[in-house]
Amino acid sequence: MAGSGVWAFAQPFSIQVIGLHALTGFIFIAVIGLHIANNFAPLKKYLKNRVVWLVSGLTIALGALFYIQPSPIKSILGLSGNLGPALDRFEMTEEGMKYDFVPSPSYKLSLDIRTGSTYSLENPPRLAVWLENQSFYHIKTLYASETTDAKEMLPYWAFKLKGWEEAKKEAEKKGVDLNETVDAVSGATENGSFDPADYIVPGETNSSMPYRVMIEINQPVDPTEKLEDQPSLIYQVEVDNFDPRTFQLLELVGYPVQEKNEEGKEEWAIYYVDERFGSAMELIDSALLSIERVTEK
Amino acid sequence: MKDKKSSTADRRNFLQSGMFGAAGLGLAVSTSSSVVMAESDKATIKREVTNEVDVLVVGGGTAGVIAAIQAGRAGAKTLLVERNFQLGGATTTGGVAFPGLFDAWGKQVIAGIGWELVKESVELDGGKFPNFAKVPRSHWMNQVHVNQFVYALLAEEKCREAEVELAYYEFPEAVVKTDAGWQVDCIGFGTRRQVNCKQIIDCTGGAEVVGLLGFERLREEERQPGSYLFQLGGSHNPASKQLHRLYVHGADSTNSRTATLANLTGRKSILAKVRKDKKRLMHLQPETGFRESYRIKGETLITVQDYTSGKLFDDAVSHAFYPVDLHTKTGVRPKPLKRGIVPSIPLGALVPKGSRNLIVAGRCVSSDRLANSGLRVQASCMGMGQAAAAAATLAVQGNTTPSEVPLAQIHGLLKKHGAIIPGKA
Repeated sequence: MAGSGVWAFAQPFSIQVIGLHALTGFIFIAVIGLHIANNFAPLKKYLKNRVVWLVSGLTIALGALFYIQPSPIKSILGLSGNLGPALDRFEMTEEGMKYDFVPSPSYKLSLDIRTGSTYSLENPPRLAVWLENQSFYHIKTLYASETTDAKEMLPYWAFKLKGWEEAKKEAEKKGVDLNETVDAVSGATENGSFDPADYIVPGETNSSMPYRVMIEINQPVDPTEKLEDQPSLIYQVEVDNFDPRTFQLLELVGYPVQEKNEEGKEEWAIYYVDERFGSAMELIDSALLSIERVTEK
Repeated sequence: MKDKKSSTADRRNFLQSGMFGAAGLGLAVSTSSSVVMAESDKATIKREVTNEVDVLVVGGGTAGVIAAIQAGRAGAKTLLVERNFQLGGATTTGGVAFPGLFDAWGKQVIAGIGWELVKESVELDGGKFPNFAKVPRSHWMNQVHVNQFVYALLAEEKCREAEVELAYYEFPEAVVKTDAGWQVDCIGFGTRRQVNCKQIIDCTGGAEVVGLLGFERLREEERQPGSYLFQLGGSHNPASKQLHRLYVHGADSTNSRTATLANLTGRKSILAKVRKDKKRLMHLQPETGFRESYRIKGETLITVQDYTSGKLFDDAVSHAFYPVDLHTKTGVRPKPLKRGIVPSIPLGALVPKGSRNLIVAGRCVSSDRLANSGLRVQASCMGMGQAAAAAATLAVQGNTTPSEVPLAQIHGLLKKHGAIIPGKA
């Protein structure tokens, strides 16, 4: 199990390794159960030993830390090749925010957000960065402000995240294999995979699916002459591994508005920014996405 | 033989059967207008006919209709020759009844007579427009769904109101230069027409008149597929959603023989699908919609770089807006234009190189293949149609050729008729 664990840490996106690791995990649990059943009396005596309690407490604390993943733990896990929060490196500098995402040793995605003139370090705006597929479905949140009002302040991202979570649950209920490129989310296109790896580091770039990197940013309480509070703004860029670009600038798309669709369901749409907006447009000076792809020669 | 009374009673019964009420209405209309037709029959049954006009518009499709209306409204005596049986082309006969794109980045970029026709079609049909303030998830979401039947009727009405003479089922077979302009010999079934005109606007899609005159045209070895539209299963509800689409690879609108082949291929496949799916065929368009055939080599050639960079040409007369949208055997992967980009169409791209008194509008616009894949769409063609007609009409009035009409005059006339001039908004 230790071997497969280390292997899974190093090798990204390998369902075989994860499967092997899960199998050894189940075997390990079964062996522990048998061990406890066969040695119940002597094991009971160990509970009187303080070291056992100390080790148990330490294990629980470490488990909680690795589950919550504060920054130092993230840094350690970031060395792994697996997708997940573990791969994120987010850092705030004087000039702005730098976000690195390394889903594979051969693929490094960096998002360099330069703060604009109205960005305040003391009272920073709420920010979310996520990936969407061509069917406009959330596939992975890369970063979201950890404030309690983040979902309220970033309604478009929150709506997309909720939709993804619901679709995932529904697919799980239907027994859909989430690791395959399936039509479970959209129901209309092939952009239905739940696995971000299918978009970011596809096996074949010829059949790769373009995806979007999205940013939603909102400064709480920022009125203008014509708006009581400027809504969040959304920026995006499309990444197509079939047509690789090293540098791409994210562009302002618009602001979200809640409305009802033809079926009467609430949804969020994006509207073009108009002359009512002011300082919100200056929160971000520029957002540059760079992708380093290591290709085999 | 039935007497008059029983015939009237039969007709009443026919009209009373709700299912065929609409057909009955058509019968009633034709019955009441037959008196007028009988009077004009004397002229129309003549095999040979001659027209003296200022402007001849060849092709009554997306661009041609708008060109004819603009020329007529601007005071030119105009004749529109159309090889088919109705106006509208791709929008109506092809069934691509969702013209676009009139807007870009939250603003209208193409207006004028094309927009007027589309808007009235939607309003008369009780339809609705996309919300142009909303960022479309995909470009096609801002296409305007129209009822193809209403559109064809309104197009005809607007032509009549602009005093445009319509000649259906006819097509030019020969064009000769004359001192006053052109002599164009058209042929239809049972009729021959000699048109003496000062200006020709070629809106045939494949620049057929330009070809007859021997000016250079561009054509790819392999063309984009055509689309044959139909509805299988559920009923066809016009202007509500798109019809089913069959890609007809190799579809070629070069001549009647190639068009026939495309239609035969399309219909054969649709029949096979009806048998396979065991669903009712609820709607079938009269012919294949063609995406690509010939393009002219104009005084200016719009390259894909010009298009994707939104180059504002010095002699820009109209906007265009659509992704680079090349359909191939493996499908289509539209490449949207970058934010803020709105391409323009120069007058020079509508004028065949070295020609005089001749101008084109529509998908045959002088452009490279990739630029053309974005330029060929309906709203852009409507904009071109209006611009070409403005130039041709002013050329008639100034006794010159379209490319020599002062640009300010063209802009002025276009603006007067509601068009949006690139760089002047």
